[in-house]
Amino acid sequence: MCCWFFLRRMGPVLLLWVAVCLSGSWAVDKGNFKTCDQSAFCKRQRAMKPGESPYRALLETMELTNTRLTLQLINDNNKVRLLLELYRLQGNITRVKINELKPLKPRYEVPDVLIREPPTEPLSLLSQDENGVVLSLGAESQRVIVSARPFRLDIVEGRDVLMSLNSRGLLGFEHLRMQEEEKVEDGMWEETFKTHTDSKPSGPSAVSLDFSLPGVEHVYGIPEHGDSLKLKTTDSGDPYRLYNLDVFQYELYNPMALYGSVPVMLSHNARRTMGIFWLNAAETWVDISSNTAGKTVFGKMLDYVQGSSETPQTDVRWISESGIIDVFLMLGPTPRDVFSQYASLTGTQAFPPLASLGYHQCRWNYNDQEDVRSVDAGFDEHDIPYDFIWLDIEHTDGKRYFTWDPHKFASPKEMLQGLQDKKRKMVAIVDPHIKVDTNYKIHNEIRSRGFYVKNKDGGDYEGWCWPGSAGYPDFTRPDMRAWWASQFAYDQYEGTMENLYTWNDMNEPSVFNGPEVTMHKDAMHESWEHRDVHNLYGLYVHRATAEGLIERSGGVERPFVLTRAFFAGSQRYGAVWTGDNAAEWDHLKISIPMCLSLGLVGISFCGADVGGFFKSPSTELLVRWYQTGAYQPFFRAHAHLDTPRREPWLFGPENTALIREVIRQRYTFLPYWYQLFYLAYQTGEPVMRPLWVEYPQDPATFALDDEFLLGRDLLVHPVTEEGARGVTAYLPGKHEVWFDIHTFQKHNGGQNLYIPVTMSSIPVFQRGGSIIPRKLRVRRSSTCMEHDPYTLYVALDNRRTAEGELYIDDGHTFNYEKKELMHRKFSFANGVLSSVDLEPNAQFTTKSWVERIIILGASKPSMVTLKTADGENQLEFDFDASMSVLTIRKPGMNAGADWTVTLQ
Amino acid sequence: MRFHIITAAFLWAAFVESRKIRGISSSYKRFYRERKSFLCIDGSKIIPFEQVNDDYCDCADGSDEPGTSACPRGRFYCTNLGFRPHYIPSSRVNDGICDCCDASDEYNSHARCQNTCWNLGQKERAYVEGQMKTLDEGLRLKQQLIEEGVLLWREKQAQLRELQRAAEDLQIKLEEHRKRKHEADRLKEQTLKALKAGDRDVRPESSSCGFRHQNSTVSHLFQLLDSNKDGSISLDEVKAKVVLVHDETRVLSEDEALTLLGGGHQMDLSKFQNTLWDVLTRGDGYKIKDAHSAPGGLMSEDPHLKAADRAAEWEAADLKKVEEAYETVNMEISDLQKKLEIDYGTDWEYLFLNGQCYKLKVYEYMYTLCPFNTVSQKSTAGTEVSLGLWGMWAGPAKNRYSQMVYENGEPCWQGGSRTTSVTLTCGTETGLRSVKEPSKCQYIMDFETPVACQPVLKQRGVHSEL
Repeated sequence: MCCWFFLRRMGPVLLLWVAVCLSGSWAVDKGNFKTCDQSAFCKRQRAMKPGESPYRALLETMELTNTRLTLQLINDNNKVRLLLELYRLQGNITRVKINELKPLKPRYEVPDVLIREPPTEPLSLLSQDENGVVLSLGAESQRVIVSARPFRLDIVEGRDVLMSLNSRGLLGFEHLRMQEEEKVEDGMWEETFKTHTDSKPSGPSAVSLDFSLPGVEHVYGIPEHGDSLKLKTTDSGDPYRLYNLDVFQYELYNPMALYGSVPVMLSHNARRTMGIFWLNAAETWVDISSNTAGKTVFGKMLDYVQGSSETPQTDVRWISESGIIDVFLMLGPTPRDVFSQYASLTGTQAFPPLASLGYHQCRWNYNDQEDVRSVDAGFDEHDIPYDFIWLDIEHTDGKRYFTWDPHKFASPKEMLQGLQDKKRKMVAIVDPHIKVDTNYKIHNEIRSRGFYVKNKDGGDYEGWCWPGSAGYPDFTRPDMRAWWASQFAYDQYEGTMENLYTWNDMNEPSVFNGPEVTMHKDAMHESWEHRDVHNLYGLYVHRATAEGLIERSGGVERPFVLTRAFFAGSQRYGAVWTGDNAAEWDHLKISIPMCLSLGLVGISFCGADVGGFFKSPSTELLVRWYQTGAYQPFFRAHAHLDTPRREPWLFGPENTALIREVIRQRYTFLPYWYQLFYLAYQTGEPVMRPLWVEYPQDPATFALDDEFLLGRDLLVHPVTEEGARGVTAYLPGKHEVWFDIHTFQKHNGGQNLYIPVTMSSIPVFQRGGSIIPRKLRVRRSSTCMEHDPYTLYVALDNRRTAEGELYIDDGHTFNYEKKELMHRKFSFANGVLSSVDLEPNAQFTTKSWVERIIILGASKPSMVTLKTADGENQLEFDFDASMSVLTIRKPGMNAGADWTVTLQ
Repeated sequence: MRFHIITAAFLWAAFVESRKIRGISSSYKRFYRERKSFLCIDGSKIIPFEQVNDDYCDCADGSDEPGTSACPRGRFYCTNLGFRPHYIPSSRVNDGICDCCDASDEYNSHARCQNTCWNLGQKERAYVEGQMKTLDEGLRLKQQLIEEGVLLWREKQAQLRELQRAAEDLQIKLEEHRKRKHEADRLKEQTLKALKAGDRDVRPESSSCGFRHQNSTVSHLFQLLDSNKDGSISLDEVKAKVVLVHDETRVLSEDEALTLLGGGHQMDLSKFQNTLWDVLTRGDGYKIKDAHSAPGGLMSEDPHLKAADRAAEWEAADLKKVEEAYETVNMEISDLQKKLEIDYGTDWEYLFLNGQCYKLKVYEYMYTLCPFNTVSQKSTAGTEVSLGLWGMWAGPAKNRYSQMVYENGEPCWQGGSRTTSVTLTCGTETGLRSVKEPSKCQYIMDFETPVACQPVLKQRGVHSEL
């Protein structure tokens, strides 16, 4: 949540600001945030002209070891030398690092994001002359060409140039200098924005580099922005900005920075998918231009027919305020390859506790224990499942995190036990700003240990946030993180039990009276300026908290921590939500591309506040949002303090029934969700993915962001228009068939299909060729369903085959790492459905059994036989000829057994 | 032997019977008679009887699985001997959570459920007994309050009538006083006019004409203008004493004064008599300032005028008193009428609440409900905020008096204003029992009072199925 509410409580000092806030409508006050022109380094770098690169490679300085090439670059204008390092990394990744050869002092290199020093592969020299060198990039026919004058890198495969660096000559590297050394431009040594002055003790230090992507018309990623999935060109406006900010009432369809940053961009065309990972945690801007942007389809076709077309090309330029250039070129070639390449660098999605994939009920705020009890009872009364109820900041004793309001939450353990008795859980918020109050233990400890971030003069940095004056622990310090983690121990954090989890908000960090509502860039994290580490702060908070939850259970239990700010690697620590959205149809719509973009860069556990945080949704919008949210990874309803209540049963019996129905649908699919998260944890493949990921050769899918896939097998087209009576969904795959999950109606792929809709549901399809295990006995919470039987939905493709998987473990511990799990593969071919073990070395037993098999697109068999280790028996079945649906009654075998079911 | 077989058969049947009928009430037993087949209660399907409660859902209405969790829309009957029987959703069967107090829902789970029905029944019976006592006592008190309410209503009506009578009396008095004041004013005016005309015999009929030829009057006026008594009128003296007839407040300009003095800076009595005297006595352009109330020392000393003036003042003060009294009475009438316009229930039983205030402290706030008037909240810091003014009764049609709404309290940050909804419940005492703010600026109060007790529902006792 943002500063809005705070302002009204902070009194007259900020009244003027309130007036500013009030004067607008619901839109963000853009004047509070910088444009590129208002950010001195961005303005300087963006003013550079292409085609005038002063950089030259000094080939004579080249050193090539087995795994590394180094080479000096010289700026012919000022004679400053840079050191280029080039590595070939395992898995078709090339890493390029550029730093000053002899910087005045060390420049910041981002730690803790890569999961390890990436393993390298041999590089070999192919040829060399005075104009450049050619290196072989491993076994494939990939080469890198280093041109000397001007310096340029081309990565080539066969005859195709995959990517070029500095091809437009926009490499920029502001060397560290003494202030008197050279001519001083405005904003080099001091910069003022609104009332805030940034002292810039190190002077100019920006880095930038351009990348050309021949043959590419589609680029994605670099979240977080409230914008379309396909990134837009930025020639006519500001670049996309990456700078973690608490943006009050953010506006959509623009490149403004939001709460989190992942400096990863994916490029895609029908032949190849690639990625660029720009490892820099300082404020970053990304410019995108394209030679085909603006051309109509007809224009492109005309070019093609006339043969006059230049190759389409997208040019990208990254600009960061400080640090070094450290960039990973993930060369694909398939989308899956890029996911695994990125996962090999920054890790995969944390495997969440199963319960966290259920429904979450949140509100700012549930007022007291009685309120919690009655909302919990409301779910039972209306027979709606949920797993987590959430407490926002008001649950604390005066915004002192790790404490409880002594009156409203006088006996938290009693409350938690009440939830535990129903196999439900709770999340309480813990923000990283710490009330400056000498009667507050947490503050005293942090202060006495010297753990606070320091201001430029060496004192503890203080800013305004919820509690009033607050300090900000320096989460970049491992000792600080270890201490923070220890505070989650049951004997430290009083009133807590195993079913209490954590929510980190405001960790951009949000500083109400700071520049752009965040921390001053000249604040100090030990020897580094906040400028260098800004985009990492939220990741560290998230990490320390997740580690705390792991430690409190002695390393046994999986944590669940939600964060608002994030960076590359945040996927390893838990879930992310899209921050303070609004109850508007456009915000419902944008939740799709926002979560798709996050999924592409590793963060699968994504969701938007169902219903919208600010304002009050109409009943129709609320129902549609539930229907969409139920098919997005993180499914939580949330609402602003000033909005009327909106628990699911407050909108009349008809709407209660609609919301109940879709939450129940979510629960029936939990086995599939869980399996997708296991896959994401193992491979880095996104849970919620754009269609092009599965249909990379079908250009019709490249810009779609009003529908999406869950895994490969579920296609979801939310209804995001008010009063909609139908939607047009694109069903991908010329040879695919898709089955409506509600009606079992079969549709052919490769077409735009108009689907009439009512309020009762949104279109969701199961892919022919897939087998999805579901649990149809929906109970009060996911934990209550643990031992329930499965129904297998076998959707046949045109060849009458299908495949699917089932993953089971205890749902909440790390024991899956010790192979206490069960992973089955189902296949249907030639009338035989079989279940085989994918992990024969794993050990896990389940009480769950298979209660029903539903085969979509089947023909009527005369006999159905089950064969297990115990022998053979015939199964009853029912065949619906009108829909070609075969239902096999109660086969009854254990979900972990080997079996076959034969249709004759 | 035969006996044994029969016993065994009987036991077996009993076993089958008990398995089959798990989760149904006795009134549904007729649907589950052991036969070869079972007809789903909605008639949609016939299944073999073994498939009843076999943990697989065959009937769309869930009727084949009353005792398992197999059907998504099924329900399970908790017999709850000793307590209230009731249905739970099938999804709560064997979910590890004890729902039925007789533990019948967890027949195949880890949950260790105790049969708590007897305790619950005891508690409920005690509770119901308490409730009944409260209700009886409440109804008794209510009867009293109704009687008091009727009396209060009559009293208020009498009060109203009395006030209305008083108002009528006052109106008559008012007329009288108005007349008297008018007369006194007239007398005063006449005295004054006579004085002005130099006519010492104050005769009411005396006309205002004819005084123009009185020498003394010319000199009198001259003296009036000649403030410094130097025998001539100066420019400053004209400016100080002469004003426009149509704009008494404006001071004459130098030029205007000069013109009046015939272009010179001084004017003696003879010149005055021939020039300015005419101008002033013509009365259409200029006049002597405050000629009416300040007729120089001469008039103020006149005893007749003094007496007339005093009498007029006297009458004016009297009139004002009467007017105020009249106004007060009228205000009381309208207040009372407004009060009596409110719906106080069929027997005016809620009337006694009007004029009372009830307080309750919740966390850091003190809440005050003054029924039919205001609701407010005071923080420990001391600021008081209005949570609404009396709006209306808002209970459902059949029980209108079960809820009150107070609206238009202090405005809210995000628009709208604070409102409070008060639910009235039956109790032996009258008081505020709870306050909640589920959403910002929307308050919910529980207010207990005997008058909310309803005699219609003699509550159902605890009955259990045997």
